Amino acid sequence: MSKRRSADSSRRNFLKSAGLAGAAAAMVPPGTANAVPAAPQTRKAAIPGPRQVAAETLAPAADPVNQTSSGGDFMVDVFNSLGIEYLAINCASSYRGLHEAVVNHGNNKPEIITCVHEDIAVHLAQGYAKMSGRPMAMACHGVVGLQHAAMAIYNSWCDRVPVIVLGGNIMEADKRAPGAEWAHSGVDIGQLVREFTKWDDQPASLQHFAESTVRAYKIATTPPMGPVFIALDAELQENPIANSKSLRIPKFEPVTPPQGDSGAIAAAAKMLVEAQNPLIICDRMARTPAGMANLVQLAETLQCGVIDNVGRMNFPSRHPLNQSFRRGLIGQADVILAIEMNDLWGTLTHFSDRIVRQSRPNTKPDAKIITLGVRDLYLKSNYQDFGRWQDVDLDIAGDGEASLPALTEAVKRLIDSSRKDAFSVRGQKLAKLHTAMVEQSKTDATIGWDSSPITTARMCAEVYNQIKDEDWSLVGTAIRLTWPHRLWDFKKPNQWNGVSGGGGVGYNLPASIGAALANKKRGGFTVAFGGDGDFMFNPGALWTAAHHKIPILYVVHNNRAYHQEYMFLVAMAARHGRGVERMDIGTTIKDPNIDYATIARGMGVHGEGPITDPKDLAPALARAVAAVKSGEPAVVDVVTDPR
Amino acid sequence: MKRTKRIGSAALVGALFAASAWVVAQAQSQAQTQVQDAPAGDAGNGKRIYLAVGCFTCHGRSGQGGALTGPAPILASTAMPFDGFKGQIRDPSNDMPAYSDAVLSDKDIGDIYAYVKSLPGARSPKDIPILNN
Repeated sequence: MSKRRSADSSRRNFLKSAGLAGAAAAMVPPGTANAVPAAPQTRKAAIPGPRQVAAETLAPAADPVNQTSSGGDFMVDVFNSLGIEYLAINCASSYRGLHEAVVNHGNNKPEIITCVHEDIAVHLAQGYAKMSGRPMAMACHGVVGLQHAAMAIYNSWCDRVPVIVLGGNIMEADKRAPGAEWAHSGVDIGQLVREFTKWDDQPASLQHFAESTVRAYKIATTPPMGPVFIALDAELQENPIANSKSLRIPKFEPVTPPQGDSGAIAAAAKMLVEAQNPLIICDRMARTPAGMANLVQLAETLQCGVIDNVGRMNFPSRHPLNQSFRRGLIGQADVILAIEMNDLWGTLTHFSDRIVRQSRPNTKPDAKIITLGVRDLYLKSNYQDFGRWQDVDLDIAGDGEASLPALTEAVKRLIDSSRKDAFSVRGQKLAKLHTAMVEQSKTDATIGWDSSPITTARMCAEVYNQIKDEDWSLVGTAIRLTWPHRLWDFKKPNQWNGVSGGGGVGYNLPASIGAALANKKRGGFTVAFGGDGDFMFNPGALWTAAHHKIPILYVVHNNRAYHQEYMFLVAMAARHGRGVERMDIGTTIKDPNIDYATIARGMGVHGEGPITDPKDLAPALARAVAAVKSGEPAVVDVVTDPR
Repeated sequence: MKRTKRIGSAALVGALFAASAWVVAQAQSQAQTQVQDAPAGDAGNGKRIYLAVGCFTCHGRSGQGGALTGPAPILASTAMPFDGFKGQIRDPSNDMPAYSDAVLSDKDIGDIYAYVKSLPGARSPKDIPILNN
């Protein structure tokens, strides 16, 4: 990527502006008190310094070469007023003013996280936000850097995760140097990502910047959350502040997430209490650590099954009411409460990927469906991540997590002794089925236990055996790798971090490192699985982990293929009755095989593998776990069966 | 410009479906009575074909099962009768690709059947301590 490297003397001409020349030396430094002008200080007979003497006695310079304030300093104060801890960047000249200000004015606060690709920076912020509950900022070059970042922004959008995206730009055409600055500038650079961000702006003044950034932060963190974009004009970042006394940073006050309407909550409670087989389905329900506890309380009050689509850490995997691997319950339910669902239609429908694509409902014809959530309160048109329309019987607009306590209380008020007894019987039945489900998973996991390539079940069981006594968080998994949720005991709110959202490949490694960055502060142990195909999109993320000493155990599920595509291609060939033995062409990652441990070591990361013999896996994992516990990132390359 | 692969935005969700249906399918197959009309297939050749034509991509090299858009049942030591096995390959009831005789002969299917029958099935998880964490 070409950057704005060729310094043009005309870039320095901003100080020719009338009124700024000379005055630059006397400009009040902005922002040390949130840019609110400080009370005039009483100066005692201090001896003027040479710069002050020069400023007071010499004629204004025609082409000054120094300045004592910059818009970037004020921007840093705005970010710090919002408590933004980190700024993930791939450095670029279009935001050099901000970059310098973060380092020197902010004393590297927000702390810069150096990334070798913008896609890494955004995904890192996505993983961090889900684990920490707070957004991170990322900055990228105008136009080309934003183009690199776009897919990751789309993943964040589809995942409803807040990320503060900043992109440099040079708004005024007469200030652009010849060459790259023209190619890297735009009239409206936010247009590129407008269809998959919640809001964007291109501030034309510092006050405008402050208000738009605080507004953007508020919009990003208000459910349904999502990424936002702010274009940073280079002149605004770099030039001296002309009007510091008039600048102010707006006060940020987070929005209280909306609860569902009380009448609708009461109606939902009545339907659930009167149901014979109520079922809760959830996806991105838990926003905070309180979310899981709220859902457990509702489920236990109703003694009903819960199917968790695991978009967040919603429900304990070993809870007796967890029926996530018994989807047949959907067809038995007479009332379904769907909370913060991403794809409700897809969850309630059997879809057939045959020559003629067909679908049929999984639900009983007379099943009543209640939805609770905010996802559909903010949608856009072009990209179709909103999914297919689902008929429902009661649609409650309200934040799932915030609404659950009121719903649970409403349910409790309606439960009489006879219902309580019936609920208890139902709960006991579900508990037995849950136990059988877990035992079946363990039994299934034994098949091919000693095989090479190593089965994914064994890989996941071996990893769990190494980390089960740590304060662990699983923050990534390969496509359709469900063994952790079948075998591991997820019971804490921080033990799972969801998936990519948009299915854009390249998410897993950087997002896992972002989650590990959030975990680092509290001393948690971070572990992730990721496919080899995903790994190769953003292997450079490992360097960021090494450089910033972010401990994480990253296990490469190395099936040496873009395996989902391999399967799809076999299906296509079989459909045509031809060439089923040639579908490795273009779908496999072999000849030569990639050595992921060597790649890791090349970037300063502890590397183990490739592990092909299952007997070698436990010792390799133990060494890697020790490295992680000493503060290092570690990669274990496990050569696996496909799924 | 990055590309995105067609993995489905809800791949993990789909896998949850698949895993649950897979459990059901396995239980059903084990409940079926094995018939005695299976051909005497060549398990060695069956393994070669199983790997070559892509059976392993969904069902695993050990016949442990898996998922594509739907469940890919466990095949190791399958109790499914040969006729049912062959019928599922020729005219599958779900999203499994249909293998016509243009790409897979009846003899090939017999050899594959012999191979998956020879694969060790599930053991007791109690024999594997780390599965009892």
